[in-house]
Amino acid sequence: MRVFGESPVENAAVLSRTCFVKESQTYPEGFSGKHVLKAASWAFPEWDEALARDLVEEFDVPLNRRIKKLSRGQRSAIGVVVGIASQAELTIFDEPYAGLDAVARQAFYDRLLRDYLSHPRTMIMSTHLIDEVADLLNHVVVIDAGKILIDAEADALRGASVTVAGVHTAVQQFTGGRDVLAWDSLGGLATATVGGLTAEERDAATRLGLEIHAVSLQQLIIDRTPGFAREGNAS
Amino acid sequence: MTAVTAGPATAAPLTHRISNVLRLHIANPWQTLITPWLVYAAIFGASLAIWYAVVTASGGRDQIDANAFSTNGGSSWIFVYMMVIAIQAMNLTFSFALGLGMTRRDYYLGTAAYFVALSGMYAAGVTALAGVETATDGWGVGGRFFASWPVGDLPSWQQFLVYFLLAILFVFFGAAAGSVWVRWRSLGVYLFLGAILALGIAWVWATTATGSWGRWAVS
Repeated sequence: MRVFGESPVENAAVLSRTCFVKESQTYPEGFSGKHVLKAASWAFPEWDEALARDLVEEFDVPLNRRIKKLSRGQRSAIGVVVGIASQAELTIFDEPYAGLDAVARQAFYDRLLRDYLSHPRTMIMSTHLIDEVADLLNHVVVIDAGKILIDAEADALRGASVTVAGVHTAVQQFTGGRDVLAWDSLGGLATATVGGLTAEERDAATRLGLEIHAVSLQQLIIDRTPGFAREGNAS
Repeated sequence: MTAVTAGPATAAPLTHRISNVLRLHIANPWQTLITPWLVYAAIFGASLAIWYAVVTASGGRDQIDANAFSTNGGSSWIFVYMMVIAIQAMNLTFSFALGLGMTRRDYYLGTAAYFVALSGMYAAGVTALAGVETATDGWGVGGRFFASWPVGDLPSWQQFLVYFLLAILFVFFGAAAGSVWVRWRSLGVYLFLGAILALGIAWVWATTATGSWGRWAVS
């Protein structure tokens, strides 16, 4: 594995430009949030102190309480502040928001996107909450039990499959000879998930009275993962 | 996996990286710099109170043995505490430093430098207090806390050396045990301590078998 064209192992030049925020991060004995931010500001050459303060306020992080006494969500929030304010060229979030509630997660995604737009950099995020982050992603890698299942541009995946729904016979007629990823029928109606359609194919489906819906990234991943989806990794 | 960004990778100079590790250790100064002196103050205060109580109850200093208060283990707790500091540094602080993008090597160099400085600071502090203790005739009651027997009988520079080397021994023993814990967890620590014990017993046994007790000692 190479990062910035070099091996990252024990490589200060690479690692000082890399920020790795993980959910299970441990902190030194007796540290509170302010110590964490102070240490991070020394470690990352591009650290943005004003941004860090702004984020602390937005996520309501208690800086003077010991990390040990913080809730899971507050600890996650500190990780998020460090990751965004580090301005590291490669920032890795390993489920950093696991303890955040829905509102705080949305705030995290918004800040992440806003920061990315003003300071473009590479961010890798692992997540199980696929639909929540789907719109943020450029590139998606799905790992299932250690095997790479999907490795594609997010845009390519977004149009990669659709569901067609309608009268059973019409759906059957339309999907005949196609690769059907998923099939569901109820009474006289049926829903089939198929690969991306060309404009002509869409017209043909419409003529048959079928409804076409885009498949969400999460549903796509579920359809393509054999058995139960065990692990979703997206970047 | 390749992440590409413009510009060649350049690291900050080694001295800068090591000073970052040092600053990481003193970001919260309570743990390693302030609390130990407060604990010292508490233990010393308790010893002093007991000495005064004994002297008062006996009806004056001339009523008790001259060397009644010459032995005291109270000042040695700092060495155990140094070991605890080192264990925590190699475990919790280490993993935090890696999360901040520090290399293992830089972390070890900076932390080792900090341990040596810390040992020197406590050795110097205890030696200085031992000087005050001797000069004040044991705080007025012949008490010996910082200049306890047998180290208190040595000249100051030797006292400093003994305290300094003891602190170094304990802090790096803690660092070694802490590192073994991080890598091999409890089984590793058991084997590590067991191996040291076995070596110690082997050494005692060999010294006895060859009748060389006392030959290596400087007396």
